[in-house]
Amino acid sequence: MTLYELNNVKCIHGSQAILDINRLNIEAGTIYSLIGPNGAGKTTLLQILAFLDVDYQGVLTFCSRPVDNNSKQLLDLRRRVVLVDQYPLLFTGTVWKNIEFGLKVRKVSAEERKERIERVLEQVGMTAFIQADARTLSGGETKRIALARALVLNPEVLLCDEPTANVDKENQEIILNILAQMVKEKKKTIIFSTHSLSQMQKLAEKTIQLEAGCLKSSC
Amino acid sequence: MDLLVDSLTSAILLLISLDEELISIVGVSLKVSGFSTLSAAIVGIPLGFAVAYSRFFGKRFVITCLNTLLALPTVVIGLVVYSFISRQGIFGPLELLYTQKAIIIGQFILIIPLVTTLTIAAISKIDRRYRRTALTLGANRYQVAWVILKEARFGITAAVIAAFGRVIAEVGISMMLGGNAKGFTRTMTTAMALEYDKGEFVLAVALGIILMSIAFSLNLLFHFFQGRGEYDAL
Repeated sequence: MTLYELNNVKCIHGSQAILDINRLNIEAGTIYSLIGPNGAGKTTLLQILAFLDVDYQGVLTFCSRPVDNNSKQLLDLRRRVVLVDQYPLLFTGTVWKNIEFGLKVRKVSAEERKERIERVLEQVGMTAFIQADARTLSGGETKRIALARALVLNPEVLLCDEPTANVDKENQEIILNILAQMVKEKKKTIIFSTHSLSQMQKLAEKTIQLEAGCLKSSC
Repeated sequence: MDLLVDSLTSAILLLISLDEELISIVGVSLKVSGFSTLSAAIVGIPLGFAVAYSRFFGKRFVITCLNTLLALPTVVIGLVVYSFISRQGIFGPLELLYTQKAIIIGQFILIIPLVTTLTIAAISKIDRRYRRTALTLGANRYQVAWVILKEARFGITAAVIAAFGRVIAEVGISMMLGGNAKGFTRTMTTAMALEYDKGEFVLAVALGIILMSIAFSLNLLFHFFQGRGEYDAL
């Protein structure tokens, strides 16, 4: 089943087109790697797919329905897709509060919140940090908590912008194992951008290659 | 020098004895300054947030105007408000002149640009990725606004403290719109000016000590909040 369809999607900042995709289909339940050199438009594409960047021309459809950039529809769509940033920001407060945020805005009951937070922290190996101040975490730990904050929402689509960039080997392994586990256990759609060919080969079923904002290949 | 030492000694005795007139003056000052700061915070914080976080034509011009209003002299505000609330003014029938409400209105006008511009500065310092993070986690626009205000809370608190410090120490508005009526609109600064005119320094010095103590406490608070904000930004 086709999840996303992009037709003539063009994103222009100033006088420069930073993304120009004629046609791209993304299938549901598939894990994609998104590759390309710096400035190829990977982050912009991920933001469009996360319904965060709405300043584009062309047609984007999600689950066969065109995306209308009105706030009500965008809010519903954003609650089905989560993007984990390349440099994730954690809110002021504890790890618990950070992971709880997305569940609270979805009005999940306190009991269920507790259960889901504990489960996801175990999944990312951060149970000991449950009451830690989020600002005191290292870069790798921050990425793991950001991933947990996304996973706890059980999104239909998980978008990760260079999930292992700027983290040490140990944290890289942990993050990759979590993604690999997700691929194995659940048929979710995951799109992650990377510069690592080994990650691409290890995790991805399909690859989207961008160059200078244009789609070079999708296979 | 002797005059200052004598006045200081007598002022300290006055403070220790909790002189009734002194307490009344301090009470009026805290009351009007508290109300004007609260009103300015209620209006200025959302206004500052709206200006900082929205894109609109003329935004720079609005910020420049607000910055210019920071330099507005208290006597100018006093004159303008006087012209509106005096008997001949359009709000004359409301009989606001020489009441605490008149001082609150004047002080509100004095600090609204201060609260707004400092709120704009505090919000502008917040990383814009917080907005994107809150959005991708499913927050609606009000929840996003709450996240940003929460992240900027130390800067905003510092703005409110600075505003309170500004109004508690001003004299022009209180004098022109309050009229310095004993027990009613006499604030610390107007009382000090009056005592000076009378050549009686004891009460003036005692009030000066209290005013400086309040200013010192506010500065301590201000630096505490600023420090917390900077620590959090690390």
